[in-house]
Amino acid sequence: MIVLVSGLAAGALFAATALAYNVMFSTSKVLSVTTGHIAMLGGVFGAYVITGLGLSPWLGLLAAILVGGLFGYLTDVIAIRRVVSRSDEHLWLLSTLALATIVQQGVGLWWGTEPRPFPRLIPQDFSAGLADQKYWLPIIATGLLAIGLELFYRRTLYGKLFVAMSEDTFAARARGIETDRIRALSYVIAGVIGAVAGFAAGQLTFAFFALGLTLTLNGFIALAVGGLGSNVGALVGGAALGLLNAFSANAIGGEYQNTVSVGLLMAVLLLKPEGLFGARNVRPV
Amino acid sequence: MGFRTRSWLAALALVASMPAWAQSTIKIGWLSSLTGPLSSAAIAENKGVEFAVEEINAAGGVLGHKLELVTRDTAGDPTKAVSFAQQLVFSEKVHFVIGPVNSGETLATVPIVARAGIPNLIIGTIDELVDAKKYPRAFRAINTNRQWIEAANKYAIEVLKKNKVAIIGDTSGYGTSSAKTATELLAKAGIKPVFSTLVDPNKTDLTDEMNKARAAGADVIMPWSAATGLLGRLINARGDMGWNVPIVGHPSVMAPAIRKLINKPQYWENTFAAGPVSTTFRADGKLPERTQALVDKLRPRLGGGEIDYLFWWVALGYDTVKIVEHMVKTAGGTDPAAIQKAFETTRELKGAYATYSWTPEDRNGFPDLDITVNVANTLKDGSFKAAPR
Repeated sequence: MIVLVSGLAAGALFAATALAYNVMFSTSKVLSVTTGHIAMLGGVFGAYVITGLGLSPWLGLLAAILVGGLFGYLTDVIAIRRVVSRSDEHLWLLSTLALATIVQQGVGLWWGTEPRPFPRLIPQDFSAGLADQKYWLPIIATGLLAIGLELFYRRTLYGKLFVAMSEDTFAARARGIETDRIRALSYVIAGVIGAVAGFAAGQLTFAFFALGLTLTLNGFIALAVGGLGSNVGALVGGAALGLLNAFSANAIGGEYQNTVSVGLLMAVLLLKPEGLFGARNVRPV
Repeated sequence: MGFRTRSWLAALALVASMPAWAQSTIKIGWLSSLTGPLSSAAIAENKGVEFAVEEINAAGGVLGHKLELVTRDTAGDPTKAVSFAQQLVFSEKVHFVIGPVNSGETLATVPIVARAGIPNLIIGTIDELVDAKKYPRAFRAINTNRQWIEAANKYAIEVLKKNKVAIIGDTSGYGTSSAKTATELLAKAGIKPVFSTLVDPNKTDLTDEMNKARAAGADVIMPWSAATGLLGRLINARGDMGWNVPIVGHPSVMAPAIRKLINKPQYWENTFAAGPVSTTFRADGKLPERTQALVDKLRPRLGGGEIDYLFWWVALGYDTVKIVEHMVKTAGGTDPAAIQKAFETTRELKGAYATYSWTPEDRNGFPDLDITVNVANTLKDGSFKAAPR
């Protein structure tokens, strides 16, 4: 049972990272390397505000949201806007990698390179076992984020603009949509999603500067397995990856865990390249 | 030609005839991962290295020559370490190389420094880093990984009288190799671990592994990993389960970072790790004299208060420069062949970290006698209490 619960908790974090990928991808067609680093910032700044400054968990969450949103916005301004507007090549891979590296090193210099504790958010004894908040907080947070995102897409004008841009950016622009502003907004929202997830999972991951790249990779695997562009796919892909990691470590040992993760990605790419819930790309001829 | 002119010419001729090194500094290349994921040890070692250089220079240098420290931050990255090692030996033309700090980096740099024929002080612990034939001028100052493991195994088996061992390593090269060595050494003592596993250093929860160890009947947990996050989770899993099984293993279970990661202070009890005698308080509550002398000298530079990190790293850094000083004095200069000879004939060189001896066959300078086992939660002023025997 512990394998199932801890696998789902880790999977929830991967799923939230995949959701953040999706939001940014919908408006820019970019898979930003900074996606995992957003969650890292949520955890680190949450821990800093609560433990370092002695403020309440709510203020810690607020700080994480603000930092995540700001980082999302800066990702668009620094690494996406000019690169995407001036080149059709995938140079955003380099620009987002550079920004991710700068942020990781910067946090390492300021926060330190050893993992640091993330505070208890709700009073609860550590002997709670499977009911421990470190497992269910990330699961609940990711569920709420997914529901919120779905409502945003379906019920708000901005959400509909996201959908319009994801289908055809040029057509959206031709109809007078300020695509640059919408894209910037999508990066802010992705920043908030990632930071909330990183904050909720802080007790599992600790506040650790090097968490970003691991999440960037695992979030991408979850996204590719679930299907690029599908939020349901992101949730299913994240949960599947988390569970597979946990059960493979349990059954055959941790040395094969990464092989199994990447093996899952390869298997899905070979059998169903669009992912479990992804839309098949049909090119009209 | 007047007397004054002749005097000038004579002086010029004298200067020109002096060997090149006599006019220059003794250059020490210091490959240190001052930033990056493995920086804690390097930052502490750097304090010792810098202090020793300043102290020796303030006393007039070595054989009248000042030491010049050429530091390069490898950020814990083997590719950077290789690039800086090449720069140090070929461009900077250093006389000695100290480091790098981490075994993974050292595996990459040691052949380069060896090819250049420059003496290399090794401060990584894995066995493969020294070899009298392949790398004749690489000499290790730190203990070996095997010495840590032997000390921990001996304590678990002979003192705690435990023989149902669970080995938990991490999936890094270092963790895998350490867990393998630990298993081999236990086999020599006739013990087969009841449970053995490797865990991803970033795995978010070790409850499953600890449950399995308990189900297998383990009466001691022996973790072989330098990843403090993983070790913190392991100690937390044991505490949350309410399982008071002893943990005996890698020195990182004593790291100050662990104190912050554990859920409750009492979770850290019944935890032991291999550590140097030099930073172990004796029964009278005092440190060995040489360690205390260095603590007293360095304390003002370290803020004047309680030292809240592992002092053995500082002592090791300090000793590496003092070893360089000793070798230059013994060799009468910086000729690499003479330095090699000086190392090979050095016996019982007393340092703050250890008492070193090297031979033509053995490049490991740290003696078995200088390793002991500490109680993890007793860190005070950078040192620990000895584990009860």
